[in-house]
Amino acid sequence: MDTACKECGALVAQPAVDREHQYYCPRCDAMLYRSGQEFHYIILMALSSIILFFPAILLPILTLNIAGMEQSTTLVEAVWSFFGDGYTFIAVLVLLSGIIIPFLMLTLILMILIPIHYGVSPRKVATLFNLYEHLTEWSMGEVYLISILVAIIKLQKMAMLIIGEGFFLFIAFLITMYITMVWFNPHDIWHQQKSDDD
Amino acid sequence: MIKSDIEAQKILCTHCGLLFDEVDEVCNRCGADLHQRKDNSLVKTFLFAISSLIFLIPANLLPIMVVTSLGNKDPGTIMGGVIYFFHHGAYGIGAVIFIASIAVPAFKLSVLFYLLYIVYWNKTQKAYGAMKYYRIISFIGKWSMLDIFVVALMVAMVQFKNLATINTGEAALAFALAVVMTMIATESFDPRLLWDKREKK
Ligand SMILES: [Zn+2]
Ligand SMILES: [Zn+2]
Repeated sequence: MDTACKECGALVAQPAVDREHQYYCPRCDAMLYRSGQEFHYIILMALSSIILFFPAILLPILTLNIAGMEQSTTLVEAVWSFFGDGYTFIAVLVLLSGIIIPFLMLTLILMILIPIHYGVSPRKVATLFNLYEHLTEWSMGEVYLISILVAIIKLQKMAMLIIGEGFFLFIAFLITMYITMVWFNPHDIWHQQKSDDD
Repeated sequence: MIKSDIEAQKILCTHCGLLFDEVDEVCNRCGADLHQRKDNSLVKTFLFAISSLIFLIPANLLPIMVVTSLGNKDPGTIMGGVIYFFHHGAYGIGAVIFIASIAVPAFKLSVLFYLLYIVYWNKTQKAYGAMKYYRIISFIGKWSMLDIFVVALMVAMVQFKNLATINTGEAALAFALAVVMTMIATESFDPRLLWDKREKK
């Protein structure tokens, strides 16, 4: 009995960190250990996701054509439109949750894993790791994606609609980001240190 | 017999998973401060849930989006949008907006008050079931922001001067605040309180 369940407080045996099995709490079914991927694979996946990020937010996602007039928007311009209407709080909120935080999550993974990969003590990056955990809930890239689909359905009745490269790149960005986050199991950080000490 | 950390007089470092004695204050592995349970969890959850409930009133009464076409202003509420889609046979999209903007916020708040009720009256025998609801609301929390992103896109896309323009309505701000408040309320709640048995005085 050398750890406790985060969600119900029950004392449980430290799960074996073998990257193959998943362990659940016997009392509340919370996941105690989620098997992750080797660090260098995660680093590569995070890097490819970051490369996709910039064209995804800068290229047009949608172009609307009404009676010869064209209007197109990018992911950044769309969230920034609240700012033009005087709603600074919502503008900042959607800019953070839809664009900046998803990007920050990937940057944090790199800032945590690269130093550890080169032998830096995990304790030095513990603050980043706490920040990562807190931000997970506020990362809303996937919500933004579904909202584009809803907007497409709403707008297609009004006028001719062209879906831009930005939209497809954003999907690719979200998929690679999702894989990175699933592969990244924060608890492996502390295990890594343990095996180094042995 | 499963024992809890409190019964064993231990404190868990929730950041790295190491277990300490009740007298310890800082984790010696990751450096985080140790708290046996989240501070003021019930009060914070209650206050944020109440504020969310208050913001939901203007969010549903005021227009979320104002469509101006050929000089005519047409303010639309969230529910108005749902009804519009059902009228025009777009049931799928109507259902998506209804679920994300109306059903999910209502469900989240009901669950939060239910969790508070269970902890306050110490109904630990219901902990297992309540835990499932807690996980559902943590998982769906962010999806209530859907309509806000839709409004952002509509405002950005439809700017055709005299022909048609769309602007943000006041409800967007109220609704965004309501969503943020419920998310903070959920985050403030410590699910371990559901399982802690308290002695009767
Ligand atoms: Zn548990
Ligand atoms: Zn720790």
